[in-house]
Amino acid sequence: MRCFGRQCRGHGHVFVKLVRQTEQKLLALGEPITALGQHAQQLLAQATALSDATRERFAEAFTAAMRSHAHIRQQSTRLIHGQKLRHCKLVNAYDLTIAPILKGKSNCPTQFGRKPGIMSDPATGFLFAIRVPEGNPSDPSYVLPLLDNVQKAIERVTTPQRPRVHSMAGDLGINDTALRQALHARGILTVGIPKTVAPLTPNPSPEEVLDILNEAGLNRQRTPHQVHLACACGYSRPVVESHIASLLSRGAGQVRYKGHPGAVVQLGMTAMAHNGAVVVRIRQQRLSKRAQKFRRLLGLRHRKINEINNPKN
Amino acid sequence: MHFVRYLQHWLGGTGAHLQVTDFVPVMHPIRQWADTFPWAALVSAIEQSFDQRFPKKSPRGRRPVPLRVLFALELLKHELGASDEDICHRLRTDFAVMYACGLRDYQVNPSQAHFVLPETLCEFRSRIDETLMDELIALQAAAAMEAGLVSPAHLVIDTFPCEQGSQRVTDATTLYKAQKKRSS
Repeated sequence: MRCFGRQCRGHGHVFVKLVRQTEQKLLALGEPITALGQHAQQLLAQATALSDATRERFAEAFTAAMRSHAHIRQQSTRLIHGQKLRHCKLVNAYDLTIAPILKGKSNCPTQFGRKPGIMSDPATGFLFAIRVPEGNPSDPSYVLPLLDNVQKAIERVTTPQRPRVHSMAGDLGINDTALRQALHARGILTVGIPKTVAPLTPNPSPEEVLDILNEAGLNRQRTPHQVHLACACGYSRPVVESHIASLLSRGAGQVRYKGHPGAVVQLGMTAMAHNGAVVVRIRQQRLSKRAQKFRRLLGLRHRKINEINNPKN
Repeated sequence: MHFVRYLQHWLGGTGAHLQVTDFVPVMHPIRQWADTFPWAALVSAIEQSFDQRFPKKSPRGRRPVPLRVLFALELLKHELGASDEDICHRLRTDFAVMYACGLRDYQVNPSQAHFVLPETLCEFRSRIDETLMDELIALQAAAAMEAGLVSPAHLVIDTFPCEQGSQRVTDATTLYKAQKKRSS
């Protein structure tokens, strides 16, 4: 019996002997798969009677079968020959549908699952884009794909004045020089991304504003007013937590659908349901004072259309 | 005689069409929530994607359940925290859910136990891919931006972990559970 992880966080035992017995059968059964798969693919190439779609489907099935066996063999090698596994790396040796999450709790049930990224409006919590990657990539790798999705949404807007992204905020995890440069190249300020654990300045002086603009090389693209707003809505953990809590309350805490496509659908639908609720709150003016002020500064004031159309006098 | 005529639609299986909007007040939370979505654009995007990826091979067969209903059910499922079965049952009995699904007329048919089967909902879900999901979120965001409700000027980005909801049963986990049960 081998133990993975710390004893104090629950039993993480895997019965190696039992796994060995099971996998020996699987390996014996799947041993001729590689040879058979290759032979079948050769025959498939010669079969002219089949349509292209059918041939493609068969080829995919053969490749998947061969890949599956290779996966079992690889994991088996790791398990049997006593090669030490990485901490929190493996809970079910042969399940392809789960992805490891090394961050979060240490050796607790959340160690396997997904790590979705969200891009939201700090004032209201409206989600502009969501991304569910495979595995556990680095945090900076989320930013540009999410930003591309936001850009696609902006391109769909048909009003004469198209909105633009002025600034981006994130935690220390996305403090990456290359990423900052890529964002500056797109005309986006990065004042909301901290460089150290020191708190961000909410009210920068005129000199600091000038420094920020010079550093980003956006003197002619962004105004001091926009810099002030960007500083005001810099990364704030409670704000982001409230957005995440809303998603968790709609069932985003547990991935129940199968595999990566399932996780994408579940979290996407959750995000859309959350956005619907956010729009209801905005229409009913149920926003925090801070959010209301921020919306006013962005020119998103609530217009009382009915009162304008039906004046009292 | 009057009484029998009054109950005719319950006894006979069909009757007058009921207006769903009459039963769901304007301030009902589900109605307000449902009115925020740009349904036409969303359903059109889904239709386009499905037509490309799953072309119809034959014009025969029963008419499918409208995509609008299935899509709304899937969203409602997450909004209300219901299971597939729960939400399909509620569609049969709850006027607010019918409103959210775009059903405006309702004709009573006691013999019909359900409108949509949970299996149909599952089948619909399995056809949605990542590209389509991104497009749907983009459409919703674009509609909100056009209405002047939100602005993407200042954005915040973060990640959060989601645990695996269900794990497959393996020999190792079964034995582990059995051992644990025996020891306790």
